[in-house]
Amino acid sequence: MIRTQGLTFTYDTDDAVFNFPDISLPENEHLLILGKSGIGKTTFLHLLAGLLSPIQGEIQIGKVKVHQLSTRQTNKFRGKNIGLVFQKNHAIQSLNVIENLEARLFFAKQTLNQETMTEVLKQLDIADCKNKKVQELSEGQLQRLGIAMALVHQPKVILADEPTSSLDDENCNKVMNLLIQQAKAHHANLIVITHDNRIKPMFKNHMAL
Amino acid sequence: MNIGKISIKNFRYKPLYTFLGVLMLSVSIALLLGIQKLDRSLKNQMENNLGNIDMVVGAKGSPLQLVLASVLHIDNPTGNISCTEAKTLAKNPMVEKAVPISYGDNYQGYRIVGTTKDFAFLYGATLDKGKNIERSMEVILGATLAERTNLKIGDTFQSSHGLAVLGSHEHDDLLTVVGIYRPTGKVIDRLLVTPLETIWDVHHHEENGKEVGHQDEHVNPDHDSEEGHHDEDNVLEEENKEITSLLVSFRNPMALLNLPRAINENTNMQAALPKFELDRLYQFTGVGIKVITGIAYAILAISCITIFVSLYRMVRDRAFDLALMRTYGASNFQLIKMVAYEGLLVAAISFLIGTLLSYLGIYLIFKMIADQYKQQMPIEFGYQEFLPTGFLVLTMVLFAIVFAIYPIVKMNISKILSHEK
Repeated sequence: MIRTQGLTFTYDTDDAVFNFPDISLPENEHLLILGKSGIGKTTFLHLLAGLLSPIQGEIQIGKVKVHQLSTRQTNKFRGKNIGLVFQKNHAIQSLNVIENLEARLFFAKQTLNQETMTEVLKQLDIADCKNKKVQELSEGQLQRLGIAMALVHQPKVILADEPTSSLDDENCNKVMNLLIQQAKAHHANLIVITHDNRIKPMFKNHMAL
Repeated sequence: MNIGKISIKNFRYKPLYTFLGVLMLSVSIALLLGIQKLDRSLKNQMENNLGNIDMVVGAKGSPLQLVLASVLHIDNPTGNISCTEAKTLAKNPMVEKAVPISYGDNYQGYRIVGTTKDFAFLYGATLDKGKNIERSMEVILGATLAERTNLKIGDTFQSSHGLAVLGSHEHDDLLTVVGIYRPTGKVIDRLLVTPLETIWDVHHHEENGKEVGHQDEHVNPDHDSEEGHHDEDNVLEEENKEITSLLVSFRNPMALLNLPRAINENTNMQAALPKFELDRLYQFTGVGIKVITGIAYAILAISCITIFVSLYRMVRDRAFDLALMRTYGASNFQLIKMVAYEGLLVAAISFLIGTLLSYLGIYLIFKMIADQYKQQMPIEFGYQEFLPTGFLVLTMVLFAIVFAIYPIVKMNISKILSHEK
């Protein structure tokens, strides 16, 4: 469950103030946020992830009021409960695939045995790349590793920032299907922000910024 | 998975960078350690060689030459002094012990020193094998020398004239080895010790036997200097004899002020203070050591900058990785720890390699010294020798780390993540 109310934010460098519409997403529901670049989509996502603090408004994930947490608590909360998927740069360069999953779990203060982690990779069709370096992966494999990184620790919310903008149609469909399917399997809310109209039909809930 | 493991993975991620950093730092550590060790060893060795000798009295000339020749046995003597005059000096109440020495011959390049029993006391040398000298033409060997030459007790050999192996002729008289000293780490280890009489006898025979007198620095019968010195009580035949120099130890330090001046002003002998002369020498040669030390510090500074730059670059280059880790729930402290471990790992490995390199360098240099100067220097590395350098390196690396992690503290994750490369 994720809910926001009256979120307002400003970067102190300029005076533009972002006012974001309220959202309220029950469990197992997903949301697609559409909008042109520069209108604060990523800012909204970072507010939800606790990477930025709102100047006003409330964010509630599960039973926790995220906006009330201290920086340290936010850090911990994010590590445990939020999975982030990015457009590029999905994993730590110096580690291989399985080490990346281990590191992800380590920072969330969790551990999983090798089989479970391999299972996660298998569902994303990258189990063969288990011991490969990140640089050796293809674009599609990288994106799938990004998804694995976002959900291996069983988060309550998965936030995806333009996950498909650098992918072709085929990979775009594949990645989105995987993301939705995995979110379902892990009972997590999935929020995707994008300007990519290709994925519009895959979501029941839409919102324009 | 833990922070340490990630640090090690980072360390190995760009091997060339890492290798360069380690190489620079370890070379500078090796230089620093090696130079300090060498400097200290040479100083120790020189001072050690002085034994209990407070003053050397010899013929007028360069005081440094006198010290180098009669104390360190690495230069030619300044000339000879009269035995009688030396005897008078030895009776001075301020003198505790006065040991006459006379030399000018060698065996395979090792110097043969004619002296008295007291010579061994100056260096604290005791017999390892054999017996003490009883008569002329008997010889006791220093430890290094016994090891290097094949001489054993009971062997006889001919000495060569002069102090170097080349261009000399052999004396006819045979010398006999009667004993071998224990190793002392001092100059006596590479000398052949014999009574004064041996030297006199060898050269006396020669003078009678050969018409052409070779240029002879020790048996030059220079009587002019002794005109007024015919001691009545000196019944020994030594009145015409000469020695090369007299090694003196004082009864109290006060003598240091008066005696050398008195000798230099009132006699035609020269008094030199080995400590003073060697310090003076050291001030000249020390310049080289100082320059190299300076260079080593410069390299150390540069290599610390290299560490800083490579850590800083890593922080910059992997800004996205670090931001990612923050989204995974890593705290600032964990990231700082990660970078710090990486820097310390570089420092630790460099220190290890640097130490080994300096060991190797010192070993080779000492071996060269042993071969060329017939001087054995003990290689000892105490941990306390590493402490100052280790501390310095650690401090500089810590500074590098602090400067490098500063961007982490200031990191704006949201900004980094929204400016994807």
